[in-house]
Amino acid sequence: MSRKYRQWVKEYQNQAWTVARYILKDAQEAEDATQEAFVKLWNNRDSIDPDRVKPWLMKVTRNGCLDRLRRRRVNVEFDESHMAGEASGPMQGAAASETAVWLKRAISGLKEPYRSLVVLRDVNQHSYEEVAGMLELNLAQVKTYLHRARKQLREQLAEVRP
Amino acid sequence: MNEYDEKWEDRINALLDGELSIDDAELLKAQASDDRELARAIVEAYQLQQVMDQVSVEQAPQSLTKRLNAIPREHRSKPVFSLFQPRWAMALAAIPLVVISISLMRPDTPSASEIAQARQEMAIAFAYLDKAAVITGREIESTVGHTMANAVTGSVNKVIQSENLTSKEKEA
Repeated sequence: MSRKYRQWVKEYQNQAWTVARYILKDAQEAEDATQEAFVKLWNNRDSIDPDRVKPWLMKVTRNGCLDRLRRRRVNVEFDESHMAGEASGPMQGAAASETAVWLKRAISGLKEPYRSLVVLRDVNQHSYEEVAGMLELNLAQVKTYLHRARKQLREQLAEVRP
Repeated sequence: MNEYDEKWEDRINALLDGELSIDDAELLKAQASDDRELARAIVEAYQLQQVMDQVSVEQAPQSLTKRLNAIPREHRSKPVFSLFQPRWAMALAAIPLVVISISLMRPDTPSASEIAQARQEMAIAFAYLDKAAVITGREIESTVGHTMANAVTGSVNKVIQSENLTSKEKEA
């Protein structure tokens, strides 16, 4: 079982980490939240359908992050230091692109569930069906909310583009 | 966002997701040629998609990977049996109490064989005492005379004799 768990870590840690980073905007807290989600995965490893591990983990990660945000009770402003220079930030591989850096900030600035929808669908590339399962929405809701989120991003992008 | 917007958003996103049929895609383009707002929305959607392609899944830091791999070690299942669990500790503490209770409840009456053995040992002891008294009497008699010997041994003999007499009287 431990071997299987290690396989899950290998396959899903980046996606869970990405969700946590976009929602929490703080590397240390994102690490803690991701670890919490994997502890839950380990503790429930015998009861989770192996085919549903990924959506289960993403859902638990997201819910844990939202709980942390509620506990904060303050709207933490996005820390730009995580965006521009850090190799471990969301912009890894695209740090040179100012537009990509801007997009990261814009996504983090979206309200829920728009932010999670964009991260899960457009960044993590999960299918619409998977996203619907993770967020406990139906397919039509996922599409509608995602379209609204993209429209917001599109309009913001149009403002910053020359 | 009104109904009109929602309809176009669905079409635009379907176009970007590759879910729009060829006919519907052509129809959308035709409508965009007459609608500047729609045309602008489609262009912006493509631009957003291009930027979005630059944003990929993050690589988790090494420190996180270590923490995640340590979870099975740090969260081992607790053993089912432990002497330190309260229920087992209580059970262990109860054992001496049960043993003491059982030993206290045991009847203290000796068995028939024990009584017979005790009687035999008492008969031997009395015989020894009688023998010792006779020997002592002889020694005293040889040393200080018959009168003194009676004074020492007489009382013992008298008591034994009176005991014998009493029991014989009762039987009679």
